[in-house]
Amino acid sequence: MAALDFTTLPQQLVNGFLLGAIYALVALGYTMVYGVLKLINFAHGEVFMLGSYGAMFASWMLGFGPGGNDASTGSWVTLLLMLLAAMLVSGSAGFLIERFAYRPIRNHPRIASLITAIGLSLLLQYGGQAFLLEGKKQAITSKVNPFTNDFVFDLKKPDVGKVQQAAALQPEVDTAQKLFDERLKTSEPGGVFNLTPDGDKLNKALAAMKEKQNALIKESNASAVSIHLPKGKLIMLVTTIGFMIGLWYLVMKTRMGRAMRAVSVDFNASSLMGINLNTVITFTFILGSVLAGAGAMMYSTFQSAPIDPFSGMAPGVKAFVAAVLGGIGNIPGAVLGAILMGIAENLVTWAGYSSYRDAIAFVILIAVLLFRPGGLLGSNKVEKV
Amino acid sequence: MKEFQFGKWFSVRLLSFVVVLVVCFLLDRLVQGSYSRFLFCLAGIYVTLAVSLNLINGITGQFSIGHAAFYQIGAYTGAVLAANKFSNLAATKPFLWLFLSVIFGAIAAGIAGFVVGLPSLRLRGDYLAVVTLGIGEIVTIIAKNQPVLGEAYGLSAVKIQSVFFVLVLAVICIAVSRNLLKTAHGLSFLAVREDEIASSAMGVNLTKIKVTAFVIGSCFAGAAGALYTHTKGFVSPTDFSMDVSFLILTMVVLGGTGSITGTTIAAVTLFVIPEWMRNIPYVQMGTPLGVGIGIIAAVVLLRKVQEKFHGSGSKRLGFNLGSIAVGGIVAFVMAKVLVMIPALQSMVNGQLFRMPVLAITLVVLMLLRPQGIFGHHEFSWSWVQKLLGKKPVQEAEVAV
Repeated sequence: MAALDFTTLPQQLVNGFLLGAIYALVALGYTMVYGVLKLINFAHGEVFMLGSYGAMFASWMLGFGPGGNDASTGSWVTLLLMLLAAMLVSGSAGFLIERFAYRPIRNHPRIASLITAIGLSLLLQYGGQAFLLEGKKQAITSKVNPFTNDFVFDLKKPDVGKVQQAAALQPEVDTAQKLFDERLKTSEPGGVFNLTPDGDKLNKALAAMKEKQNALIKESNASAVSIHLPKGKLIMLVTTIGFMIGLWYLVMKTRMGRAMRAVSVDFNASSLMGINLNTVITFTFILGSVLAGAGAMMYSTFQSAPIDPFSGMAPGVKAFVAAVLGGIGNIPGAVLGAILMGIAENLVTWAGYSSYRDAIAFVILIAVLLFRPGGLLGSNKVEKV
Repeated sequence: MKEFQFGKWFSVRLLSFVVVLVVCFLLDRLVQGSYSRFLFCLAGIYVTLAVSLNLINGITGQFSIGHAAFYQIGAYTGAVLAANKFSNLAATKPFLWLFLSVIFGAIAAGIAGFVVGLPSLRLRGDYLAVVTLGIGEIVTIIAKNQPVLGEAYGLSAVKIQSVFFVLVLAVICIAVSRNLLKTAHGLSFLAVREDEIASSAMGVNLTKIKVTAFVIGSCFAGAAGALYTHTKGFVSPTDFSMDVSFLILTMVVLGGTGSITGTTIAAVTLFVIPEWMRNIPYVQMGTPLGVGIGIIAAVVLLRKVQEKFHGSGSKRLGFNLGSIAVGGIVAFVMAKVLVMIPALQSMVNGQLFRMPVLAITLVVLMLLRPQGIFGHHEFSWSWVQKLLGKKPVQEAEVAV
C-alpha cells in the first residue's frame, strides 16, 4: 500500500461528490418505489443500464457512432437529445416492468415481488447479453461532449522559490539544447552521433540539466494542491441539482406528489380516500426510472463509464446502499446517502485499495443496517401487533 | 399413540442406512467416464446446496440470497488445506483426505455462518436478502485480491472425484432437514417462518432458531464446497459469483419453498437443463424472440384461466393445457415469422440463453404459482397410496 498522498485528497473529495450526485439520481428511484410499494426494485440497476444504451444509441443516430465523422464534436443540443433519449428509454422500461411484472403480483407476499425483481434483473442482464450488440463493452465517444476545458482552483500555490529556481535554470537548458542541436546538424547524416565522444558529452550535459529542472518542478508541484473541475462535470452537477429541485417541487407542491406521500404513509387508507393507487404507483415507477435514465446518460457521458448489459449492476447496488444509508423511503436521505457513498468510494480508491471499491458499498450497508437500521435520516419503527 | 419400540426403530434406521450406502456405492460403480462422473458429482453438490438453502429460506423463512458465499468458503478451505498442510495425505490417502476436507469445509463455513448470521438475522425480509447478497460479493472480492487465495486465477487441488461421497452428503443433508421437521425443534423453525412475533410470544427463541438454521445450512454448503474443489480439481472466484447464488435460490423457489422433495427435484432439473443447453448451436435472433412472445402469450392466458375460471378440476386442467398449447403455437409461428425479418437474422450463441431461461423461470413462476411447484408438500408413502387409489393410513403427522 502506497503512502497516503494528501495533496490529491481535495480532488478526490470533489470527484466523489460529483459521482455521488449521479448515484443520488438513481437512489431516488429506489427510495421512492420503496416508499410507495415497500418493494426493493432490484431491476432498477437494469433500468439504468437500458438508459445508458438509450443515450448511446441516440449518440450513434446523431453521427457519433462507430464509423462516424471524426471531425465533428457535439454541442449542447446533442447532449440534450441524448439525455431525453435515455430518459425516454428508462421511463418506458420502468413503466413496462411495473405494469407487467409487479402489478399482477402486488397482492402476493412481498417475497414473491422480491424474487420477481431478482428474476427481472437477471433477465435484463443476460437477455441484454444475448440481444444487445452481443453484450460487448461499448462506450459513448468523448466527442459528444464539447465542454472539455477544466476550471482549476488552486487551494495551495506551488512553492514560489522552487518555481523561480526552475525558471532560472531555463537559459542554461536552452544553451545546452542549442549546443546539442548545432552539433547534431553538423554531424554526418546516418552516423551514430551519440557515440562520438563530444556528442555523448553534450547529450549527457543536456539530460542532467533537464533532470535538475524537472526535479525542481516536481518538488514545487508536490507542495501544490489544486482541484480540476471539468466544465462538463459542472454542467452535470447543475443538471442534477435542477432535477432534484424539480422533484422536490413535484413531491411537495403538486397533487400527484401529495398522493405519493399519502400512499407511502398508508397504502390502504389512501386508497379509501379516493387516491387511484395504480396511477400513483405507475407514476412513481416512471418518475424513478426517468431519473435513473438521466443519471445513466450523465454517468456514461461525463464519467466515461463503459456500457455493457451488466454495467447497471454496480451503480445500482451503490445507489441502493445509498438509499438505505440515508433511510430508505426518505428522499433527502437518499441524496445525502448517495453523496456519502460517492465520497467513500473515491476515498477507498485514494487510499490504494481500488480493487475493493465495489466491496465498500456492501461493507457500509452491513454496518448501517447493524447499527442504525433506519438509516441516517430515517426513523426506527417498532412493529406492533 | 403406539408405544415406542426401540428395537424396531433401530432396525429400520440401520436398514435404511445400509441401503443408502449400498445404493450410493453402486451408483459410484455404475457411473463411468470422467465427464459423466463430473456432471453427476455436480448434480449431487447442487442438490446439497439447494436443500441446505431450503432449510434457511424455505423452512425457517429467512430470505438469504448469498448462499454461494458459504459454498465458496468451504471450497477455498478445502483447496488451501490440500495445497499446504495436507498435501501428503491428499496424495497418499485421497478418500480419507476427502472425508477430512468435507469436515473442515463444513466447520469453516459453519463458523462463517455463525459470525454472519448472529448480527444480520436481526434483519427481516428484503434487508436480510441484500446483506446476504453483499456478503457473497465481499467474499468473492476478497478471494479475488488475496495472494494466498490465488487472486483471480484461483487455486488448484488434487482431483478426487467421488460420486459416493457426493451422494452420501446429499442424502445426509436431505435426512437432516427431513428429520428436523419431524421433531419438536422443527416445529419452532416452521413457527418462525409463519409468524415471528407470534412464535416469540409462544416462547420460541427467535435468534437461536434462526442462527441454528443458518449455521446448519452454511455447514452443508461448506461441505459441498469442499467436495466441489476436489471434483473439479481447481477453484476460481468466478465459480462462486452471484449467479450461483441465484441459481440455488431458483432451485429452492421452483421446487416450492419449504418442500425438500420439490427442492431436490428442482435442483436436478435446473442443473440438467443448462448443461443440456450447452449443446445448443448458434440460432437466429428471431427464434428466441418468438419463443419469448409465445411464453408471454401462454402466461397471459394461464393467468386469465386462474382468475376467471372456477369450474371442475378436469375442465381447469383442459383450459390450462389449452393455454400452454396456444402459447406453443404462438411461439412456433412467431419464431418462423420473425426469422424472416432481415434485422433478426443474425446468429446468436445458444449458450447465452442459459441464464435467461433461469430468469424467465423465476418470473413466470412468481406470476403463476408463487408457492413453487410442490408448495409446502412433501413426498410421502401415503400420498403414493392415495395416487394408486388406496385409502391412506392415517398417521399422526406434523403438518408441514
